[in-house]
Amino acid sequence: MFGKQDHLTNYDPGVFREKIRLIIWLVFLAFFILISRLWYLQVVKGDTLRQRSENNRIRIREIKPLRGLIMDTHGSILVDNQSSFDISVIPEAAKNTGDVIGRLARLCGWDKSSISCGNGSLKSGKPFIPVKIVRNIERDKLAIVETHSMDLPGVVVDVVPIREYIHGEMMAHILGYVGEISASELSGDAYLGYRSDDIVGKYGIEQYLDGYLKGERGGEQTEVDAAGRRLNVLGRTRPVSGNNVLLTIDADLQKICWDAFQEKAGTAIVMNPSTGSVMALINKPSFEPNLFNRGISGEKWKELMANPLCPLQNRAVSGQYPPGSTYKLLVAAAALEEGLITEKTKIFCDGTFRMGDRVFRCWKKDGHGSIDLHRAIVESCDVYFYHLGEMLGVDKLAEYAEKFGFGYTTDIPLPGEKRGLVPTKRWKLKRYGESWQKGETTSLSIGQGFILVTPMQLLRAYCAIANGGILYKPLLIRRIETADKQTVREFPPEIEKYLPVSKKNIDILRYALWGAVNEPHGTGGLLKRAEQDVCGKTGTAQVISMGEDENDEMIPYKFRDHALFVCFAPYKDPVMAVLVVVEHGGHGGSVSGPIARRIVDGYFNLKRNGQKM
Amino acid sequence: MKIDRRLLANFDWVLLGLVLLISGIGIVNLYSAGYNLNSGGEPFYIKQIYWVLLGLFVMVVTFSIDYHFIIRNAYVIYVVTLSLLMLVFFYGNITHGSQRWLILYGFSFQPSELMKLSTIIVLVRYFNDNIEKGYHFGNIITLLAIVGVPFFMIARQPDLGTALFLMILFCSMAVFVGVGRKFLIYFSLSGMILAPLCWFLLKDYQRERILTFLNPERDPLGAGYHIIQSIIAIGSGGILGKGFLRGTQTQLRFLPEQQTDFAFSVFAEEWGFGGVCVLMFLFLLLILWGLQITRYSRDLPGALLSFGVTLFVFWGIFINVGMVIGIFPVVGIPLPFFSYGGSSMMVLMIGAGLLMNVSMRRFILQS
Repeated sequence: MFGKQDHLTNYDPGVFREKIRLIIWLVFLAFFILISRLWYLQVVKGDTLRQRSENNRIRIREIKPLRGLIMDTHGSILVDNQSSFDISVIPEAAKNTGDVIGRLARLCGWDKSSISCGNGSLKSGKPFIPVKIVRNIERDKLAIVETHSMDLPGVVVDVVPIREYIHGEMMAHILGYVGEISASELSGDAYLGYRSDDIVGKYGIEQYLDGYLKGERGGEQTEVDAAGRRLNVLGRTRPVSGNNVLLTIDADLQKICWDAFQEKAGTAIVMNPSTGSVMALINKPSFEPNLFNRGISGEKWKELMANPLCPLQNRAVSGQYPPGSTYKLLVAAAALEEGLITEKTKIFCDGTFRMGDRVFRCWKKDGHGSIDLHRAIVESCDVYFYHLGEMLGVDKLAEYAEKFGFGYTTDIPLPGEKRGLVPTKRWKLKRYGESWQKGETTSLSIGQGFILVTPMQLLRAYCAIANGGILYKPLLIRRIETADKQTVREFPPEIEKYLPVSKKNIDILRYALWGAVNEPHGTGGLLKRAEQDVCGKTGTAQVISMGEDENDEMIPYKFRDHALFVCFAPYKDPVMAVLVVVEHGGHGGSVSGPIARRIVDGYFNLKRNGQKM
Repeated sequence: MKIDRRLLANFDWVLLGLVLLISGIGIVNLYSAGYNLNSGGEPFYIKQIYWVLLGLFVMVVTFSIDYHFIIRNAYVIYVVTLSLLMLVFFYGNITHGSQRWLILYGFSFQPSELMKLSTIIVLVRYFNDNIEKGYHFGNIITLLAIVGVPFFMIARQPDLGTALFLMILFCSMAVFVGVGRKFLIYFSLSGMILAPLCWFLLKDYQRERILTFLNPERDPLGAGYHIIQSIIAIGSGGILGKGFLRGTQTQLRFLPEQQTDFAFSVFAEEWGFGGVCVLMFLFLLLILWGLQITRYSRDLPGALLSFGVTLFVFWGIFINVGMVIGIFPVVGIPLPFFSYGGSSMMVLMIGAGLLMNVSMRRFILQS
């Protein structure tokens, strides 16, 4: 059917020639399209794309710096760096990341779902960049991973430094802890220059001094092929270790405070009255900061958050308590300075004080009889101070409170510090829309009612009495130095202001505080040492006001009073001041006194054993 | 078969020159593409030299046989190729999840490549026989069957790129020969019905490719990676290129399939826009030369055959280059005479032989 002659059909191939002309135009058009696009890519976008090809083959590998150490005032290490082993996966090398992670989990006995990105949709954003999946694995697991490396393609082990908090719970509220930077921190202005996998301080000194501690990351520029294999190192910048920090804290004294507190909830602070240095600061209960290193589990976190004793709260600066009888010193100072009384002024205490229709009672039912200021402080007579309060009025008291450093933060470098509350007539009106009641001044004059102070504020005010009238800023950091001990920054004592109290009046108050410990019937008798060198004041901070005769033991825990004790020693030239707050401890001196005693004794024992303070 | 001396006198040196020039550039390019690739065994550019030499032999054999004889046996060729496709279906070698290769005496071979040529030949035959009858329902069905059977067999391998290539080849030939409006309507209707059907036949990676073509940044590490890396390679070549063996994208192996589908990207990176223009000019000359052969062929089968083969080469260039510069989806279509590949080179050399066949015989037919 297709014979030799068949091809000469009647159909004229010439018809095609016309079509060919069109086809040629179409071919030109097609080539024009291709050439235009090539021109666009190579000529117009050439430089941009060349840049991209450069970036393609050059990888920056980050070298993390060592974070600075934190040491106590004697240079003994509180936070160290240890090696930790992290597991990462290079998705492209693993091919099926889900399988590989599954195998890894099986080998190490981990729950697959607990591994981040265990679902297999692992993406690092750039090809051949490892993605971290497990942090800080145990050594035996490391051995397993290393021996099975052939079955775990794309799995790599990185050695990274990890923080070790040597004293664990004891220092947790001072030192804080670190963690991976969060998305919200990254987006804020405070963390400019940080990267997404940076470890940053999350709390305490770690957070406050993060800028000093973190160091500068180094980097290595390497040329790689598409499989991420390193071909050449093009350049290297060495990382710079973070600065070391010396605190004013004395680890031994801290330990004494920690042990002295036993199992009660509360806080204790030891301060040097002549510098404002915080020598010890403990909170109970506390938390284990080393838990946060391994990435705290949700369960553990919930447990911490749900604990009614709030282990995460740094009570020393963020706990707010009525100062109770410890406030009487301020009332006395105000009354003396305002010339309303002298040290000889006597007031008769029959156990009650009438204000309007209300009757306020002295803690001593039968009253103290006729009593002067010295004895009123020694025996902590309430009625004496009810009268002083009445004479002074709420706003005068507030004025002095402000001058003693209450009502605003001390600016100690610890997070979460509270301001406390100094009530005034205006405040009451603004806050409650009601005018100030006279009876409220009466409560205020013995440190109850609206007034709230933080332990740090209270201790600082007492330090000012102890040192003759200088209100220091609390000092927690002594020095920042480079890894090779070059000083970066010193923190000298910083005077905030002077108490508006004359030397003579301060001496009256100091002597009264000595009496409260060392004279008969003094409320602070528990602190009476052989040396008779301690001055102090007890306080009971009412959680709720209640009737007379209720027995402490009968009251539910959360309504029990807080027990306070503040003291300094020695009487002449004090070198240490202590504040103890036992939450819901019940009546002042009996609960907090023994703790304060152990701390004071411990301090002087340390000193005697040759340690310079 | 005795070769007419007049044939040699009319030998198409231009065509041979163009084919050898492009293949030569291709081999040099393959040298660079494989420069940092120690895959073991013979380097690709050496193998490609063997394929070109073997191809030249096949080309001589092809133009020695009168193309009328070839067209007379079109259906035999078609059925034989189809049987080879069937063999692939049952005995084919599976690589990368698809079954495309037939291994004969240690040589691996892709019958789907040969199918492209066989389809052209059978269409030439069919159009030649039926052109005066015009298109009607009956022969449209026949045509669809002729193309449809290999289309589905290749799509099943799965090799959607080659299958679609077959369809494009067929359509462009049909349009050229002159189809009525009726045909176009039938054809587009069946296309519309088949397209969604095809979507279901596709494997995941193929769907991924289509979606990624529409938006390469959609999956920069997966399917889009190839297109992005290719565009970076081409663009970074700039005007003058990075120089032979200096293409970082190529040498550091960021380019995928740089010996085969993305060979053009290697060339563009190392030789720049200047080099690309030269190569594209050679390709353009080749196409225009093919069309010239069609134009001056003395009879219908010659015109159809040379046109079909020219189209075959043209679409190869247009789709491959379009793919690597990101205006077409990534389908595995090699760049004619340039990409590495034995089957492809053989088939193209046969195609070149067919063109010469027509080219040389127009003078004989004249007399």
